Amino acid sequence: MKAAQFEHHEPTTVEEAVSLIESLDEPTILAGGQSLVPMMRFRLARPETVVDLNGIDELDYLQEADGYLKLGALARHADVEESSLIDRQYGSFADTAPLVADPQIRNRGTVVGSIAQSDPKGDWGTVLLAHEGEVVAHGPGGERTIPADEFFLLPYDNTLAEDELITEVRVPTSGDDEGSAYHKLKRKVGDYAMAGSAARVVLDGGRITDATVALTAVDITNVSVPDAADHLEGERPSGDLFKQAGELAAEHANPESDEHGSAEYKRNMVRVLTQRALADATERASNDGPAARYGTDQMAVGD
Amino acid sequence: MSVDDTGRSDRPTQEITVTVNGESVTAEVEPRLKLSDFLRSHMELRTVRVGCEQGVCGACTVEFDGTVAKSCMLYAVQADGREVTTVEALSEDGDLHPIQEAFHEEHALQCGFCTSGFLMATRELLAENPDPDRDVIEGALADNICRCTGYQNIYDAVETAADKLEGE
Repeated sequence: MKAAQFEHHEPTTVEEAVSLIESLDEPTILAGGQSLVPMMRFRLARPETVVDLNGIDELDYLQEADGYLKLGALARHADVEESSLIDRQYGSFADTAPLVADPQIRNRGTVVGSIAQSDPKGDWGTVLLAHEGEVVAHGPGGERTIPADEFFLLPYDNTLAEDELITEVRVPTSGDDEGSAYHKLKRKVGDYAMAGSAARVVLDGGRITDATVALTAVDITNVSVPDAADHLEGERPSGDLFKQAGELAAEHANPESDEHGSAEYKRNMVRVLTQRALADATERASNDGPAARYGTDQMAVGD
Repeated sequence: MSVDDTGRSDRPTQEITVTVNGESVTAEVEPRLKLSDFLRSHMELRTVRVGCEQGVCGACTVEFDGTVAKSCMLYAVQADGREVTTVEALSEDGDLHPIQEAFHEEHALQCGFCTSGFLMATRELLAENPDPDRDVIEGALADNICRCTGYQNIYDAVETAADKLEGE
């Protein structure tokens, strides 16, 4: 099956894109297209008009500015994978990028698009939650920011208004005493997560002063685990502490049994993945140097 | 050079100008025409294999704007003003590209349907990482599907290609 007919618009500025989205009848926004194009091929999506962001050069960035790490709507998974800034300071981003799909898809697909898609099996929403990040949206009324923990509603649904465009996602700049990591269980290289866990830890004087844990594919959206964060804060990092936090994450998870595994199995994997993510995040917070040097031990079924 | 669309004049089309294998091409296409169909059916570039048409088999992999992409995950209108390279551009004056030679020598294909996609994916892999180990090769080619070979000869061919390119 081929896509139904649609009109293709390619604005060159955000302003032009916003005004197109406002004036057109239920337009769909195309960035990387690595989810949208197959959906259109199956006619699960049947937009009359497509607003293609790929000509808007001002959305193509990945940079630190104003106290944030900012990713524009055209920052591709491969841009994250290849960034030395990410490798030095943002372990969870460095872990996640090479685990998304395959090289061809990473060259095209965007981080913002993945978050806009709001697939509970998507990885980037979890990373955004773990970093207590924000979604920056532009609409006819101007710009607004939506905190990550208020963004996701349901599978493939979020709080973005129909006439709004996500121009950026951003997370607070990572300090030297901060570390983060992402662990993902998948059937084979390139698959969506069966379960995933992101952790972020800030250390001060040998104690955890701030922590977050967020999960992939084990609830109706990417979710954070406040209980685990509360349990970690103020404590000295240890294997036992991470084990307890992993157990809290497993309790918080709400996975469904499917062809990939039972709910019980996935819950157990959340426990293990969270422990590992916390251990890596803590190691990165205590050491200087590229995240890649403390490479994570990613699991695939059969390992 | 100009390429006609399907001849159906009742559907709106857009004019695109794409550089395909170094040659500038102008065509009128429907926005819903995929780049894979444009290249294979309109440009008659038969190395572009249309397999799953949903981004999972890798057979339609081409170089788009400097990096590999699955051409079934792009519309031809998105290629307007951009460059596309297919396997047709790999061999020079009838001589196989070293990666093609390696696939030939290692018997890395049987039916050959998937081969173009593997060649293009291998080309980017070796450009970024001239001496990849086996795990890296398997990861880079994980979503190019081959139903004949069992992959081992393909991985051998990538290693052989790496040696050939290093020796150039």
